[in-house]
Amino acid sequence: MFILQILANGIVLGCLYACIAAGFSLVWGVLNVINLMHGSFIVLGSYLAWGAYNSLGLSPWLTLAIAAPLFYAFGYLVQRGLLNRVIAAPVLVTLTLTFGLDLILNNAMILAFKADYRRLILEPALGTLAMGPVVVPVDRIVAMGFALVLTGALYLILRKSRVGRAIIAVRLDRDAATLMGVRVKPTYAAAFGLGAAMAGCAGVLLALIFPISPLSAIPYLGKAFVVCVLGGLGSVPGAVVGGLLLGLVESFGAMAFGPEHAVTLSFALLILFLIFRPQGLLGKRGFE
Amino acid sequence: MLATAANRIRTSRSGVKSGSVARLFVSAAVALAPALFGAHAQAEDVIRVGAPLPLTGPLAPEAVKQQRGYDLWAEHVNAAGGIDVGGKKMKVEIVYTDYQSNTPRAVQAAEKLITQEKVHFLFSPFGSGAAKAASTVSEKYGVPTIAPTASSSQVYDQGYKYLFGTFTPNDTLTNPLSDIVVEKAPDVKRVAILARNDLFPLAIAQEMEKSAKQRKLEVVSFEKYAINTMDHSAALAQIKSMNPHWIFVTGYINDLILLRKQMADQRIEAPVVTMIAGPAYQEFIDATGAGAENISSAAWWHPAVQYKGSDIFGTTENYVKAFQAKYKAMPDYGEASSSVAGALFQIAIEKAGSIERAKVRDALANLDVMTFWGPVRFGETGQINSLEPPVFQIQSGKTVVVHPPEIKQGEFKLGVK
Repeated sequence: MFILQILANGIVLGCLYACIAAGFSLVWGVLNVINLMHGSFIVLGSYLAWGAYNSLGLSPWLTLAIAAPLFYAFGYLVQRGLLNRVIAAPVLVTLTLTFGLDLILNNAMILAFKADYRRLILEPALGTLAMGPVVVPVDRIVAMGFALVLTGALYLILRKSRVGRAIIAVRLDRDAATLMGVRVKPTYAAAFGLGAAMAGCAGVLLALIFPISPLSAIPYLGKAFVVCVLGGLGSVPGAVVGGLLLGLVESFGAMAFGPEHAVTLSFALLILFLIFRPQGLLGKRGFE
Repeated sequence: MLATAANRIRTSRSGVKSGSVARLFVSAAVALAPALFGAHAQAEDVIRVGAPLPLTGPLAPEAVKQQRGYDLWAEHVNAAGGIDVGGKKMKVEIVYTDYQSNTPRAVQAAEKLITQEKVHFLFSPFGSGAAKAASTVSEKYGVPTIAPTASSSQVYDQGYKYLFGTFTPNDTLTNPLSDIVVEKAPDVKRVAILARNDLFPLAIAQEMEKSAKQRKLEVVSFEKYAINTMDHSAALAQIKSMNPHWIFVTGYINDLILLRKQMADQRIEAPVVTMIAGPAYQEFIDATGAGAENISSAAWWHPAVQYKGSDIFGTTENYVKAFQAKYKAMPDYGEASSSVAGALFQIAIEKAGSIERAKVRDALANLDVMTFWGPVRFGETGQINSLEPPVFQIQSGKTVVVHPPEIKQGEFKLGVK
């Protein structure tokens, strides 16, 4: 029974990690930009949900509908106005730029919201779901479903839609794509906008689960990193698989070795992957 | 000093009748000159106290609390004309430096304050770890230092002469807690402890283990979690399977908010749930909502205590009023401790009649006074040993003191759902 609870915890936690990592994986895998602002985007989404609920009484589900276009536009503008200027430069240049932008964004949030920890408390609470002796909180199940739906939608967009095909084409060969008539700059901006929208939406849902503070941005970013390396870059389902693997390892690791070693264990796994399978579980060669 | 100069400019500006800009500049320069060149003479009239704080980084919320405590004290002293040093009134100035939540940098910050900023006295950086590290520097230069937020006795057992602390050792929190639980809930036998793997949270968890064993309670689980842990479900599932009567959790406010939420997620209930240190802060109650109900905790001070002190704030009530007037919020123990650290320097300087460091150090060591914080006497090691920390519980969204009996506001209640 106890094992079942640990398994359920691991799966749900894994989907939360997938939710955190999905947008990051898209931007890294497809644009080859390591977006260090990702954690701050999530936190900003959480603040949006918190503010909308506490001052306007808007439920997080409605806020999702607002957050998606808002963050898409924000991401689009950041890419169009700033990142596109250095997109062809080596990866370290874009990394440095997003690092600088993150410092600005994160400190602006500390100024605006202070570093206090808050949490979105729904009235009435969503509660928990019991399946026999196994108890799972509803908000985590919702976030889990959301992560799966989002990843599925993203997969379809990249495979079936015109924009999606253009994004993939630009990633594979920028010059050839230009020659085929793909307008590179708007395509990049659309991809970054999608990544930002996913981060913002994840933030809205995570506001129900984790304490909200600008200081949470770094742990979110750290998890996104690990998930992407485990799951594999350039693969959308990789974020889900990597998230699940990390969630299960942390859950069972905490049970077997004590909770203080759960994080150590996940990073040990990361090192093993980097040595023996750098492309990750589902990653494709050429995307690392 | 700059403020004085600015004041003089403002005064001289009002004295200028015509709107001539040139004349304004001349008068400003004339007004500034004595302020600039007289800087040395002025500095001697001001007592400078250094305060290295983690103003940025993860510990920033704690730094703000300490800063509020110091500022309130300095403002009160200066409004009253300053500290009486052998018949001469001297104003105080707090000199802040930011060490970015980085302990090695806290040590450098302390040294810089002493050698470059020439502060007379020092407040320790935040927490036991940084206070211990920085105490080596202040000892080397012989600068009397008060640590307002360091409780672990390992900070004070280095044989240092210049370090004093306003928090009693950790066991003075866990012993009264255990006493009240044993008294009010004789059925509570099984204790589960979950601690953040960090200096203070782990130290107090270990004290809890001792306090529990001394009272014949069975410690059924003692687990640690890593700093920055984002999920506690595995640890909590294990605790649930042990079926404890008393769950004792340590960490900082972000950990405790998440842990309380996840306990509800896993439907973990127990007669007694204690969390240290977080429930003393209003943010904890706001962020946990109904989940805060009946959570017990202990801290070194609470705004409900009632002492009649001989310090600048006088009674606890006065202190709370002054704090509320300035910040529109209730003070918590971190803020009050920072204010009392300033007030103790003031009392020691007035007793010594001098700002000579060795004399102030001796005055601090021999202090035996009542303050709004409580009775203050420092033990052999420099740590306060005269305080009885209150135990409190969150009832109907408010903190209620349940021990010691002289100041209690309500009865200890059982059942955390």
